[in-house]
Amino acid sequence: MVYEFRYLAPRTAAELAAVLDGHKDDGKLLAGGTDLIPSIRNGIMKPKVVIDLKKYSGADRLSYGADGLSIGPAVTINDILRSKDARERYPVLCDCAHELASHQIRNRATVAGNVVNASPCSDMAPALLCLGAKAVIRSATGERVVPFSQFFAGVKKTVLAPGEFLSAIVVPAESAGARGRYLKLKRIAGHDLGIVGVLMTRRDGELRFAVSSAAPTPVLVDSVTVKDSADEAARKVLASVSPISDVRGTKEYREHMIGVYARRLFTEVK
Amino acid sequence: MRIQLTVNGLGYERDCAEHRTLLRFLREDLGLMGTKEGCGMGECGACTVIMNGRAVNSCMVLAVEADGATIRTIEGEADGPSLSDIQKAFERNHAVQCGFCTAGMVMSVKELLSEHPKPSADQVKEAIEGNFCRCTGYTQIVEAVLDLTGSPEKKGELEHV
Ligand code: FES
Ligand code: FES
Repeated sequence: MVYEFRYLAPRTAAELAAVLDGHKDDGKLLAGGTDLIPSIRNGIMKPKVVIDLKKYSGADRLSYGADGLSIGPAVTINDILRSKDARERYPVLCDCAHELASHQIRNRATVAGNVVNASPCSDMAPALLCLGAKAVIRSATGERVVPFSQFFAGVKKTVLAPGEFLSAIVVPAESAGARGRYLKLKRIAGHDLGIVGVLMTRRDGELRFAVSSAAPTPVLVDSVTVKDSADEAARKVLASVSPISDVRGTKEYREHMIGVYARRLFTEVK
Repeated sequence: MRIQLTVNGLGYERDCAEHRTLLRFLREDLGLMGTKEGCGMGECGACTVIMNGRAVNSCMVLAVEADGATIRTIEGEADGPSLSDIQKAFERNHAVQCGFCTAGMVMSVKELLSEHPKPSADQVKEAIEGNFCRCTGYTQIVEAVLDLTGSPEKKGELEHV
């Protein structure tokens, strides 16, 4: 890379918060780097300071306790796939993780990075939305907790303010055991952003859908009930999204496939 | 920034610009030219190396992030003139044509075999899904791995990978 920047790697979470506070305008957090580094290389982002959050102790913590599964900001997508707790208690999380990019990217890309980028085609967001996960947001002045249903603010925008970072993702214990499946429409395994993605989960008769690549943000749909027919379920899902036409697919194609996937999932996820 | 890392069993300590990628560092600072740059942005896998046991795209890792890391590259495979088992299997099965993807392919396969010594054809395909090969059509690469590991599915089903 020709573009030059400074690199800082704080050793504690408090130090990270302080460093970030001092670089609100010119700093960028580095997690897996699978978005940031190509963006810098392509001149899309020009941070003066790159702040690595992987080096502080506890950043890669992945643990299951009374509150549920706690995912530190340096936990990678493959860490999730290798975790027994995630596989056994939150199979849906693994289903979505498995759809994300290629094996090498899954070894580096983090769950936190995938949601903080707030791309409409985030693969982890549907799982976190359906499972009722919460974002623990930290800054030099304190900590706040925001459910993922209120985390995304627009295309590539979240509720994170300058100086704040996502210090943990908590997937609640109540959601353990939710069954479901993620269907992602793409051309080539491992090399494509989704054209659309639909996740459906079912737990104790409660149904949830989440859709990616179909609106400015990933969308949660919790209005479908077991009494609906497959067609009604698809109608409710479609009413919540607003897909656009772009290089990956047209609006009409996206709408059609969201309907197909919603009906298929409604019948198949038991 | 001063960094210290182990590459193919040898320790190195170097001054390194903070914006330098691990790929450039390996090729230009350490002179290990076996690892290739294809796209430079995480699409092609030509730059795959193993960092702390995991296959990664070295074009998307900063060299300074690898401070303290243990790295394996294609140069660590052969022992003098004698190829490693993975390399021999690639050679036997015609899994190399132009060779541009091969260093990365071998590294991805190496990580796979460290975790799954007897992978299925599907596991092999998944392990190399981040590695583009524009020559072989992939079939010979999958066959090379299954040939090496003696996995049962070697024949059949592979014809239309
Ligand atoms: S050069 Fe790194 S993925 Fe292509
Ligand atoms: S052998 Fe030429 S790209 Fe794979």
